[in-house]
Amino acid sequence: MTRQELIGLFRTMATEIAEKDFSKVSEDAKIAELGIDSLGMLELVGRMEQELGVQIPDERLVGIQSVKQLLDLVQAEAE
Amino acid sequence: MFDSPATLVEALDRLPGGEARGFRFLTTERTERYYPWEALREEAYRRAAVLAATGLEKGDTVALVCPENHEFVLTFLGASVGGFVPVPIFPGATFKASEHYVDTLEHIVKAARARVLVCHSKNVEVIEALRRREGAAGLTVLVADRDFQGAPPPFSRPTITPDDLCFLQFTSGSTNRPKGVAIRHRNLVANTTSFLGPSGLARTEEDVGVSWLPLFHDMGLIGFVLGTLIVELPVVLFQTSTFVRMPRLWLELITKHRGTITYAPNFAYDLLTKRVTEKDLAALDLSSLRVAGCGAEPIRARTLRDFAAKFARCGFDPRALLPSYGMAESCLAITFHQRGTEMVVDRVDPAELQRGRAAPSDAPDATELVSCGVPFPGHELAIVDEAGRPLPERVVGQILSRGPSVNDGYFENPEATAESFRGGWLHSGDLGYRADGNLYVCGRVKDLIIVNGANHYPQDIEWVVGDLEGVRRGNVAAFSVMRDGLEQLVIAAEGNSSDAEHLRVEIARLVSETFGLTPADVAICPVGALPKTSSGKAQRAKTKALYEARELEQHR
Repeated sequence: MTRQELIGLFRTMATEIAEKDFSKVSEDAKIAELGIDSLGMLELVGRMEQELGVQIPDERLVGIQSVKQLLDLVQAEAE
Repeated sequence: MFDSPATLVEALDRLPGGEARGFRFLTTERTERYYPWEALREEAYRRAAVLAATGLEKGDTVALVCPENHEFVLTFLGASVGGFVPVPIFPGATFKASEHYVDTLEHIVKAARARVLVCHSKNVEVIEALRRREGAAGLTVLVADRDFQGAPPPFSRPTITPDDLCFLQFTSGSTNRPKGVAIRHRNLVANTTSFLGPSGLARTEEDVGVSWLPLFHDMGLIGFVLGTLIVELPVVLFQTSTFVRMPRLWLELITKHRGTITYAPNFAYDLLTKRVTEKDLAALDLSSLRVAGCGAEPIRARTLRDFAAKFARCGFDPRALLPSYGMAESCLAITFHQRGTEMVVDRVDPAELQRGRAAPSDAPDATELVSCGVPFPGHELAIVDEAGRPLPERVVGQILSRGPSVNDGYFENPEATAESFRGGWLHSGDLGYRADGNLYVCGRVKDLIIVNGANHYPQDIEWVVGDLEGVRRGNVAAFSVMRDGLEQLVIAAEGNSSDAEHLRVEIARLVSETFGLTPADVAICPVGALPKTSSGKAQRAKTKALYEARELEQHR
């Protein structure tokens, strides 16, 4: 999956979960500032896991703050 | 008639052998680990021996910070068999600023006087950070998935009596002043045999419990581990973090294992109603479910009605919904709605309720409150005013409870004990009223914020926000408001108008990173706008009253 597709996936899923329009969110955005709390973030991770067929351990998520950090992690797991 | 064991260890000893019944765990890797009761008991004895070999003596505490459910349960039971006192602590620092989390660990380990701590290879790093702290000097650390292997050392089991401490529950108190509820075996047996017995859920031979609730909290630990061992109820447990990632797995596991009893806070029912798609519904069969309990945070009638309507197609029986009320100081449960009956909703006038009276109303804007039912036999409930005088039905006051489930206080904390346990009654700090004998919970005397089933202490939030540049410590108030029947966090802080927009964003970001909470609103107020105590600290209740009346002066 290309980076472009990955950010597209993030935008779609974040929009579904937070019920806000995230179609223009950039990678530099802080997840917390998007109004996604820790539950929403885990749900987002869960959806990406299912979509990409990967599993990301809880402990790898410690300290993840920006959309970019999250996508880097997901991409590294998917490869 | 079921003859109850006197202690948790006696319960473990008399569990039937064989492969048929036990604990089915889904690990964080989502692989299944099945422990028939016999295997569970054998492993508990091995772990007791290993723990004893560290020099622990009967009555000593053992901190348990373990993110993997099966390792947690086996180690907890091992400590119980050894006569030690497990102290479960929130295990995951996921998203939490790790310094704040290590502070929490340090304060609890110190307050519990734990000299031994059991963790897991998954969180050993954060425990190493804890060991470098002054308050954790000399702590012996065991890694649950590594250090209990091999032949157990020789071990002679101690005698455990109903008056012995069973475990400490550290879910109350702020980070700096944690309070450990001291639960004795007799309290645990009294409470679990009440809520799983004939006047509660009335366990049957066909019952299977399914739960994703965290095990460091009473609802998961007592409800689905300790209680189920005492009444011999098989369970399927999966990790909270798996539930949050794949909410519908909860209902899929009920379908797969023909689950009959489950429990969750209000938010989880909302989440499932929202998340499960039409396509998912077709694969679900909830007809086996006879108890879908709800507790641990305010219960919204609409949430439960919507859930029942959505899942009716999957065979969900609305009479399975079982609203309840309880707290750690009474082990777990205080009141239960009558099982197998439709939930009871009271509609009252919102303005009258503000004045402390629950006046029935048919108006469209009436406030809906869900009945949490009645106390168990041998237990009493009272609603009292500020002077401690009993109040009549439909008048709001503090909820008090007494009986054999109520603990005798907080571990080595006479001050906090004297505050909550007075004259033989547990003072819950919650506000409620009774109508037709049923309990309705409608507010809180104590300053506590409950969001998504998790308790947050305002002082912890205020302390963290007070550290931000541009905010003066002491000039912050964190409190919760009810919006559309759900509890939400509001933070009010004093700052300059030129900083207001920046501070709003920064405060929300910081609170989210540290506590995993998104404030519903951040109010930035001119310097001097927050009401203060004589010592200059922001007064939460007055700030909240001004905010709710839209009279709190704010920069916009």
